Amino acid sequence: MAEVQYDSASRIFSGGSEVRAVDALDLRVADGEFLVLVGPSGSGKSTALRMLAGLEGCDEGRILIGGDDVTAVHPKDRDIAMVFQNYALYPHMTVGENMGFALRLRRTGKDEIQRRVADAAAMLDLTTYLDRKPKALSGGQRQRVAMGRAIVREPSVFLMDEPLSNLDAKLRVETRANIAALQRRLATTTVYVTHDQVEAMTMGDRVAVLRDGILQQCAAPRELYDRPVNSFVAGFIGSPAMNLVAATVTDGIEIAGTTLRIPASALGSVTQAGTPVLAGIRPEALRLVGDADEGIDMRVVLCEELGSDTYVIGDVGADGASHRITARVPAGVRAEPGRTLRLGLSESAAVHLFDPDTGDRLN
Amino acid sequence: MKTRRSALSTTALVAVGVLLAVWTLLPVYHMLVVSLSPSDELFAGRLWPEDPTLTAFSTVLTEGDFTVERFWLQLWNSLFVAVVSAVGVLAIATLAAFAVARLRPRWAGLLTTSALATYVIPLSFLAIPLYKAMANYNLLGSQWALILATITFGSPYALWVLSQYARASIPSELDEAATIDGAGAWRIYFQIFLPLMRPPMVVVGIYAFLLAWNEYLMAFLFLSEEDSMTLPVTLGNFLNSDQIQWNVMMATALFYALPPVLIYYAFQRNVSSGSTAGGVKN
Ligand SMILES: Nc1ncnc2c1ncn2[C@@H]1O[C@H](COP(=O)(O)OP(=O)(O)OP(=O)(O)O)[C@@H](O)[C@H]1O
Ligand SMILES: [Mg+2]
Repeated sequence: MAEVQYDSASRIFSGGSEVRAVDALDLRVADGEFLVLVGPSGSGKSTALRMLAGLEGCDEGRILIGGDDVTAVHPKDRDIAMVFQNYALYPHMTVGENMGFALRLRRTGKDEIQRRVADAAAMLDLTTYLDRKPKALSGGQRQRVAMGRAIVREPSVFLMDEPLSNLDAKLRVETRANIAALQRRLATTTVYVTHDQVEAMTMGDRVAVLRDGILQQCAAPRELYDRPVNSFVAGFIGSPAMNLVAATVTDGIEIAGTTLRIPASALGSVTQAGTPVLAGIRPEALRLVGDADEGIDMRVVLCEELGSDTYVIGDVGADGASHRITARVPAGVRAEPGRTLRLGLSESAAVHLFDPDTGDRLN
Repeated sequence: MKTRRSALSTTALVAVGVLLAVWTLLPVYHMLVVSLSPSDELFAGRLWPEDPTLTAFSTVLTEGDFTVERFWLQLWNSLFVAVVSAVGVLAIATLAAFAVARLRPRWAGLLTTSALATYVIPLSFLAIPLYKAMANYNLLGSQWALILATITFGSPYALWVLSQYARASIPSELDEAATIDGAGAWRIYFQIFLPLMRPPMVVVGIYAFLLAWNEYLMAFLFLSEEDSMTLPVTLGNFLNSDQIQWNVMMATALFYALPPVLIYYAFQRNVSSGSTAGGVKN
């Protein structure tokens, strides 16, 4: 059990031009917490995780585990266990040997190894496969072996780098829940990397969003969804993605010539009418309204039926200056391409306002 | 139309195959015919000897002629030199490949390239300098001279094959997982790297074995004593006498050809099995 801390930690790759894969990362993971690192490809998630593991050096700043500075400590002495995206199981060892390898190296007693491997195997439903080689396992089973190898170590921190990305969609959802439940049961501090924001939102106690090596926001999933600190986080978190359109502040906000009234309190620091902003409205904040009601007219381009609800994708504004937006409407709404729908804001809907230049949140 | 075409190309392939087989086997057949012929009928020009005899073979096996009076010892010498050379090449090349492909130092590329660059100079050019070097080390007449020379010439190619395989077929995450699990470089080498390198090691081991087994020039230069000679030198010495005993020579040559064939069949299966399958999801 341990707290993890990145203290202005940077990783700089040279070679051609200098790349700050992780740039002055300040992040604190509480003891027993499940922290998810999320971001687009190349944002430095894996690098940040590998720095914590000690597989990647730390060019600036420090890394602390359990309050101790481990920046210069060898991976094996950091008391961490890592689950790799491709599992990295030892192909020539059986499942049992794979799980017991680290303990054997630590000269743990035979009985103790056997007990811990058996416990972990029982926990992960692997008992019948202990004598098999990884080659003879399905993808899901291999994934569980990789988990088991981490669990038997009883480390103070689990590190996982996209451990579900090689599973099919259904198994991924199932395993996602299992990992989250297991982590809660073991109460081991966990840093989990994914590029899938749904995984991030459903699994993490807190989620840290990275972009180009720079931490954008680290908060609980709800907070991230409700109050993204900038337009990048706003667009990254949530599915389908938040609509981000150019707007002007009036007595509400004016989008494509139509004003949507919002409470003055919701405008936050933006008080001056005429200020250009980037307005963020989630697809689920939009609803269909009648022709007499206040709303924006959208020309439907595409309609995606999901069964539970429907995503309507269309354009608002005049030709040439139109914005593509998505609205999430109840299932059964008929919206053929070419038709015009009027969209208003739902009752409690939040409108997020961002600076059009810096992307920072304004309200 | 399609089937006729494929039948035609199959026929062509078989024809080429047969041609190649005949081309390869004809000398062997000739060796067999000569070795089975009685001494006075060696060049009778028949496809098969009129009364074939195994005398030549028994002469070799019983060391019943001055040309083969050390046959068993020399067979042993050949085996010893080849096996030790193969082990030496494997030891050096796996260690070097591990360093190049897994530890990945900056100079890895330079090392591999310069090792391969040694092949620019043909072995025969180096025979005399090597002879001098071995003389300096007081190794002339010792089989270790031959072994060291073979290891020198076998290792660069072995390093190249092994490091290519290691880079392409053993994911670096395995080493990282082992590092986190607490394994140092030596343990990773012995417990992860070597077991997974079995397939190319079989290939390289056979290559080094044959390199030493077939070596004539250096064996001839370094080994002059009957007791330390390897079989190729013995075979060469047949030609030194006025009355060349072709049948005994061919019988010896057939015995000499046997171990490589056996080794090839013994390890044929190992060569192609992919032992890293399954550990990492592709
Ligand atoms: N060994 C390296 N040498 C040079 N640059 C590197 C190295 N490893 C990573 N980078 C660079 O650092 C940046 C971050 O890479 P990283 O692998 O951490 O991204 P990621 O967020 O894990 O992406 P993904 O979701 O695709 O796995 C990338 O721009 C990458 O090109
Ligand atoms: Mg990554």
